[in-house]
Amino acid sequence: MANGPVIRVLSTLDSSVLHTFIEPSKKIHESQDVSTFLTSKAYIDIMTWVLQLNRSMFPLKVADGTTQTWTLNSDAIQYSAQVRQLQRLLSKLEDIIQEVPPDTGPRRFGNISFRRWTEVVESRASDLLKECLPANLLNMCSSDEGATAETELKSYFLGSWGSGQRLDYGTGHELSFLAFLGGIWRLNGFPKSGPGVEERAIVVGVIHPYLELVRLLIKTYNLEPAGSHGVWGLDDHSFAPYIFGSAQLSPAINDNDLTPEEGSLLNAPDPGGVANAKIVERERQTNLYFSAVGFIYDVKRGPFWEHSPMLFDISGIRAGWGKINKGMIKMYNAEVLSKFPVVQHFPFGSLFSWDRDPNAPLPTSTVHTTSGPQARPVAPDSGHPSVAAARPMPGAGTQALPPMGSTAAPWAGVRREGVPSSTPSGTTRVPSALPDTSRMPPGPMAPTRAPWSAQPPPSPSQDGNADVHTKAPWAK
Amino acid sequence: MSDLDRAIEQLRACRLIPESQVRELCYKARELLIEEGNVVSVDAPVTICGDIHGQFHDLMELFRVGGDVPDTNYLFMGDFVDRGFYSLESFLLLLCLKVRYPDRITLIRGNHESRQITTVYGFYDECIRKYGSANVWRYCCEVFDYLALGAIVLGASSELEPTSNTALSSMPIDDSELETEVLNSRGEVTMSTYRARQRSSSDASTDSRNISPPRDISAAPGQAAAPSRSGAPGTGASGDGNGSAATSRTGAVLCVHGGLSPLIDSVDKIRLIDRKQEVPHEGAMCDLLWSDPDEIEGWGLSPRGAGFLFGGDIVKQFNHLNGLSLVARAHQLVMEGYKEMFDGGIVTVWSAPNYCYRCGNVAAILELGEDASGGGTVARSNGEYGRSNGIVADNRVVSPGRRYRVFEAAAQDTRGMPAKKPVADYFL
Repeated sequence: MANGPVIRVLSTLDSSVLHTFIEPSKKIHESQDVSTFLTSKAYIDIMTWVLQLNRSMFPLKVADGTTQTWTLNSDAIQYSAQVRQLQRLLSKLEDIIQEVPPDTGPRRFGNISFRRWTEVVESRASDLLKECLPANLLNMCSSDEGATAETELKSYFLGSWGSGQRLDYGTGHELSFLAFLGGIWRLNGFPKSGPGVEERAIVVGVIHPYLELVRLLIKTYNLEPAGSHGVWGLDDHSFAPYIFGSAQLSPAINDNDLTPEEGSLLNAPDPGGVANAKIVERERQTNLYFSAVGFIYDVKRGPFWEHSPMLFDISGIRAGWGKINKGMIKMYNAEVLSKFPVVQHFPFGSLFSWDRDPNAPLPTSTVHTTSGPQARPVAPDSGHPSVAAARPMPGAGTQALPPMGSTAAPWAGVRREGVPSSTPSGTTRVPSALPDTSRMPPGPMAPTRAPWSAQPPPSPSQDGNADVHTKAPWAK
Repeated sequence: MSDLDRAIEQLRACRLIPESQVRELCYKARELLIEEGNVVSVDAPVTICGDIHGQFHDLMELFRVGGDVPDTNYLFMGDFVDRGFYSLESFLLLLCLKVRYPDRITLIRGNHESRQITTVYGFYDECIRKYGSANVWRYCCEVFDYLALGAIVLGASSELEPTSNTALSSMPIDDSELETEVLNSRGEVTMSTYRARQRSSSDASTDSRNISPPRDISAAPGQAAAPSRSGAPGTGASGDGNGSAATSRTGAVLCVHGGLSPLIDSVDKIRLIDRKQEVPHEGAMCDLLWSDPDEIEGWGLSPRGAGFLFGGDIVKQFNHLNGLSLVARAHQLVMEGYKEMFDGGIVTVWSAPNYCYRCGNVAAILELGEDASGGGTVARSNGEYGRSNGIVADNRVVSPGRRYRVFEAAAQDTRGMPAKKPVADYFL
């Protein structure tokens, strides 16, 4: 064990040192701010947390020569009291669906009742958190009047459920839930155990039920994908299950082994199985990747290769689930954490801090913008941070942006030449008397508002402007 | 068989044409579109279609239900690309048909016909994947810049000819006329509505139904703008009894992708826009492509972050001032395929069934018939036609008879599984 790689884990607060909590607030206001984000402590902490959870899902070599896998129904995963409390929290949220059945009136797509569901959750959030987390954790604070730990956690908790305003759900909301759990970790809310023990309980015992709840919400209220590339995105709503699910099927490791980058668990299903409904039906019971694919089968009609070409192509990879896992991590870094429309609503406090990470490289120069999503070239990796740092994250590839001179991809972290000016043209176009009824939930993500407008977007009128509609990607 | 006909045949089979041919096609299309005004005039009969979003097989189903080009005269209200798997096949086929039969198909611009939107919602990714470079995406975007912003349908009949093979239709009551009819994809009538025939003796416009010499479309704008009580942009009616023009009592229909703009109070103001550019983030051109009607009064901010919400009072006033009987628009999914709002003053037409493979909606197209009296038989013009400034419309303007054909997603069994393509760099 002593000679093994140092597994990086998310640091926890030192209870002997006074900690200053901060009411989380948005810091990513313009696309350029994404490159600042990629040098922040929050970014390194989020990546560390994701990789820590990911690492825990790799099957384990047992001393007797057998392999311990971490399937969704595994008895080998022990749930701590805190994990069980979080499960109770999720089932209370599920119960709220019964209180707020879908509206049966005329509608377009998204169901207006979801707005009510989010309002109920918001009104009960403090109580729900108090029931789920110890008081001495929630009440941690720096002064009598300042923000508390609860203030910060609640911000991420409320951002985890999709937008009641737009009736959509996307990877930004998923990110918020990961941050909620990471925040609890940082506050020492989870018990200390051996490497990966508590982490895999979190993935299988909390994140999987969370995803199941989200799928129920999506189906119940017809939530639309938040800002999607249509069929050309990985998935309409989720990313995390593809990371953790591919880890479940990757080669078994010892605690000292480096995280494998190719190969598969012995007897793992062939990746090509995603295109076969029967195999998906079988594997979704035990695996996060297939459970996500199974949900696609539940909601979509049509050939799999046509409505999910990205997953279809990935299913042709011959180098195993380890290869797929590594690709998913890279892709998450580039397509979720480095995308302005996704991260712009992420709020920063003390647990996930906007402060510059002292070890971060200098911000990527905005001059080098020929192609590629804005991705930080360093990924903290469990294992060898130095090796990881030397390995650049993927750049261009199929994600190459339009060339210079054309309009910048709105999700890119860097403003390019030719971006239509976001400065108001001087015409008085927004009738000034409009009531500002907007109260954006602190949800991250979501296709965005117009950068020129000072107000948050209005809440749609009563009957709900709730169809699967396109939002302006340049909006904030 | 010409190269163009060959390309049409190939695209109809859902097979892409070579990049060099796309380039040539886009060049020809631009030459054609640059001659069109911002607001194209189209004669009834015409079939109006909403969003397609790369759902090629459903577009084929649309042609099966609505008739083929050039037999049927089509008007597509934009959003050909993004979201679906076959944006390229769908848009290139429509563009080929436009070049081949310019007077039988009209394409106007949707908010997705834009560089910035296509890089976010899938068309850019599709071009890269299917052609290996951004060239074709660039050619298509150049065409987008030339697409008209709207269309005016002239000479639509207020009354529908009842569909013959109707089991459901009851005999119309005396002195009523068939106003709307909904048909399923097998051509069976599922709903009809009638309205009382308006036959007031003082109704000059009714009397004028028999006189309808084709209007000289080259008439000077000033002439068309002559004061009139019943004239309106698009209708060509001057109603002043000088015989120079006359039309049915049916007002014109404005077709636009999104909706109205607080900066646009007359159809003529649309004609003044310099449209040959990327869709701006704000302003009149943006609003026309992004706005949505809503159950509000006046104007509201749009949750989309572009364009506005507008209420029934805005639509009523706009139609009244412009002598329009109807605004037809697309832009929003409607589960039933079409949705009329504000006493029939505006209709949303949606032509992508089971949108995004999962919405479970049906699609619709809207057919407007030709006025049997022959009114409004004007040739397509390039947008300078029918200018009028602030003419107050005759408030007897009647909405056109509307036949909706509703259809479902095309069957999938015929689509074979393709070979897997190389994966994204992340997985290499």
